[in-house]
Amino acid sequence: MTQVTMTRRDFIKTNAIAAAATTAGMTVPGLALAQARGGDGVRWDKGVCRYCGTGCGVLVGTKEGKIVATQGDPDCPVNSGLNCVKGYFLAKIQYGQDRLTKPLLRMKDGKFDKNGEFAPISWDQAFDIMAEKVKATMKNPDQGPFGVSMFGSGQWTIWEGYAANKLMKAGFRSNSLDPNARHCMASAVFAFIRTFGADEPMGVYDDIEHADAFALWGANMAEMHPILWSRITNRRLTAKHVKIHVLSTFGHRSCELADNEMIFTPQSDLAIANYICNYIIQNNAVNKEFVAKNVTFHKGVTDIGYGLRPNHPLEQAAGNNGYPGPDGKPKGNPNTFSATTYDEFAKFVSEYTLDKAHQISGVPKEKLEALAKIYADPKTKVMSTWTMGMNQHTRGTWINNMLYNIHLLVGKISEPGNSPFSLTGQPSACGTAREVGTFAHRLPADMLIANPQHRAAAEKIWKLPAGTISDRIGYHAVLQSRMLKDGKIGFYWTSTTNNMQAGPNVNEEMYPGWRNPKAFVVVSDVYPTVSAMSADLILPAAMWMEKEGAFGNAERRGQFWRQQVKAPGDCKSDLWQYMEFSKRFKTDEVWPAELLDKNPEYKGKTLYEVLYTNGQCNKFPKEEAAKVNAHAWAGYTNDETEAFGYYVQKGLFEEYRNFGAGKGKDLGEFDHYHRVRGLRWPVVNGKETLWRYREGFDPYVKTGEGVKFYGNPDGKARVFSLPYQDPPEKPDNEYNLWLCTGRVLEHWHTGSMTRRVPELYKSFPDAVIWIHPKDAEKRGIKRNDIVKVATRRGEIELRAETKGRNKMPEGLVFVPFFDEHRLVNKLILDATCPISKETDYKKNACKVWKV
Amino acid sequence: MNISSVIVIPGPDRAQSVVASLNALHCVEVAAVSPEGKIIALLETEDDRETIQLYEQISLMDGVMSASMVYHHKETEPEAEILLAA
Repeated sequence: MTQVTMTRRDFIKTNAIAAAATTAGMTVPGLALAQARGGDGVRWDKGVCRYCGTGCGVLVGTKEGKIVATQGDPDCPVNSGLNCVKGYFLAKIQYGQDRLTKPLLRMKDGKFDKNGEFAPISWDQAFDIMAEKVKATMKNPDQGPFGVSMFGSGQWTIWEGYAANKLMKAGFRSNSLDPNARHCMASAVFAFIRTFGADEPMGVYDDIEHADAFALWGANMAEMHPILWSRITNRRLTAKHVKIHVLSTFGHRSCELADNEMIFTPQSDLAIANYICNYIIQNNAVNKEFVAKNVTFHKGVTDIGYGLRPNHPLEQAAGNNGYPGPDGKPKGNPNTFSATTYDEFAKFVSEYTLDKAHQISGVPKEKLEALAKIYADPKTKVMSTWTMGMNQHTRGTWINNMLYNIHLLVGKISEPGNSPFSLTGQPSACGTAREVGTFAHRLPADMLIANPQHRAAAEKIWKLPAGTISDRIGYHAVLQSRMLKDGKIGFYWTSTTNNMQAGPNVNEEMYPGWRNPKAFVVVSDVYPTVSAMSADLILPAAMWMEKEGAFGNAERRGQFWRQQVKAPGDCKSDLWQYMEFSKRFKTDEVWPAELLDKNPEYKGKTLYEVLYTNGQCNKFPKEEAAKVNAHAWAGYTNDETEAFGYYVQKGLFEEYRNFGAGKGKDLGEFDHYHRVRGLRWPVVNGKETLWRYREGFDPYVKTGEGVKFYGNPDGKARVFSLPYQDPPEKPDNEYNLWLCTGRVLEHWHTGSMTRRVPELYKSFPDAVIWIHPKDAEKRGIKRNDIVKVATRRGEIELRAETKGRNKMPEGLVFVPFFDEHRLVNKLILDATCPISKETDYKKNACKVWKV
Repeated sequence: MNISSVIVIPGPDRAQSVVASLNALHCVEVAAVSPEGKIIALLETEDDRETIQLYEQISLMDGVMSASMVYHHKETEPEAEILLAA
């Protein structure tokens, strides 16, 4: 028989074409299909992308203990084999030259010194000083248990967030745990709870292929969610009737595909949303049957302030911000509302006429009407998407509520193609930050710290004495920075985030807080980020494929992966760090005597025993890891299982699952996730749920019920009357431009990972300021000139850009935040939505001049 | 050398002009075009940097609505022969 050979070049080319053809659903005639992979020593296994909330599946290729290749997973329904440019270089994120591999403590003369230089120490020494600082903080009358504070993220794996939540809220009895998701989608969370009584979208990505129209409300999906955008692009180009409407404060790549591009004045989205409701009512387009059966009407309190420090004049003047008034009692509560009627709502929005919306927003009337029509037309299925444009907003909770108002009035919700869809920015913002409840006010499965029944339920599942969990809400992200500066936090531990670059008002609040001698700051990190370099102690973390993990994406899909490689040097996963550190504390040292007197069986035990070897988390022996994953590879284990002697991830997840079971938050069985490309909750009888709240799709809605928003006790969703209000800062004579910050395609958030991929770094090395050519000309600035941009809080220097992917309107400039050498968040006011406490990074007043 | 494939989706009625622009690029080969106009482009370059520059160029090309990376391989011995069947 003749030998058939080909060069490796041709072989690879064939593979490349075959992969693309499969992905695009194309047949390529004459294509000699490449042989199945194998024989080259590369082990391939399923994984999940490390970056955004889309949750693309990736195949990870490992050879000789190193990740050598990644590829979009053709079997993952999220991306069907596609990759964005960041995902394309995923294999490189773990291998930056400056990877941290040893604990580093600031020292002078062999001892910790806040002003010392970083020097390597052992894990034992690191935990020694950390335990000492935690205990001292707890005893300090100015600080106490809540002075022990932690900041994590939507990049924690599910079990890392869960272990941290237990360590903080049960172990240290401190609710001062918050995720960086507070900066990202807290407004989405609060609005979901206010409107539906339950967090997270009702729809799924499959809505894209069913929608007739898309409306982007402050999301540049082409750059920030490229894979979902490619699905929308595909829908737009294959179904000719489909139209795309893009609302933004400046022109960007998503506008290139828009049939209706609307550039609006910052903050005026509030007026536009109310106008659309008014249009629907005036044109008799309300779905009366749906509204009568499924909707109640409410009026939210106004005069809620801007989440600034209580002594700020705007807060002194606000009547409903919840801060103590002159009598010491809280001034109202920004998150309250009272029942009203449909007629009152109709009257309320009636003042938002087309003229008024046009006047406030600057958007041409015919464009606003075209947008209103897609919602009003009963035959058009509409998918609305949004990210930071709506969430990072001093009225972020309101604008999220107001978008649901629109969908609810016309009943376009919870069915294929009709979908208000809140996108997320982090891989497990939903899976960890939200579902595990790592917010300062939350417990797992939407339960609340403030609710005594919820605390009791958590204590029961965790097998802890009644009263272990404090009833006080902890310090949220922005408050943590203020409390550090004010000396109320003595121990601060951050991980999987880079808050010194991502948080607001770095100059006035955050940096002085971290460097306050009253605080000891620990940063678990993989690279020497701005945060790591601002810490007192750096802990080297394992990342991504160096640990077994689980993320939950924006469409409620939980996805698992196996540990593929060992972490370098002394790097350890966050999970190991929390569990191992908990061994340093006895209950007697951290719990009050009265709690232990009532429950003497907990006396003398370590937090490790109480929290993690409770018979549940340590239920599955070491051998279980090999058994669960036998279908993927023989003899599988992972580092935490080896270190603690039981299958930690399974034990934690199976305990965690109890929180949501039977409450519409059901997760699948641990083993199931390791076999499939994710499951969307609620997972009932092993089956995932695509559209929630609707009969026929959601097992929680019984036959004959039609639609049921069962998150609220009455089964109905709430529509809110909420007004347009000005932002706390607007351009004036001196600071005469709007400053908006955000992201670019090539970099993910603060660039800790993407700036270490040489190709991505070189393709977009330094942040620039996009400015309208006329605004530039007025200031004597030419393209590529070095300019200064300043707000009342600080200034940075960067290059001016008048062309390219972003097209500024006059009066607004845009600066991305990925660049650690041009920290734009020094300029950002820490004003938040007073309900969600999420910062508005989009609307500051600035001035720009040529250097 | 680097071999990678990219799915390019052109705007309505732009497939022909995009194919022409792609063919005009050095190191790019149009491997297939579907009846709806989806294009598979093959990129053959010396290094990752060149790949990414090409990818950026394609993304920003007139008439291109989206460009998605699919497959990427870095090869050190492109001329080596491999045995497919015997």
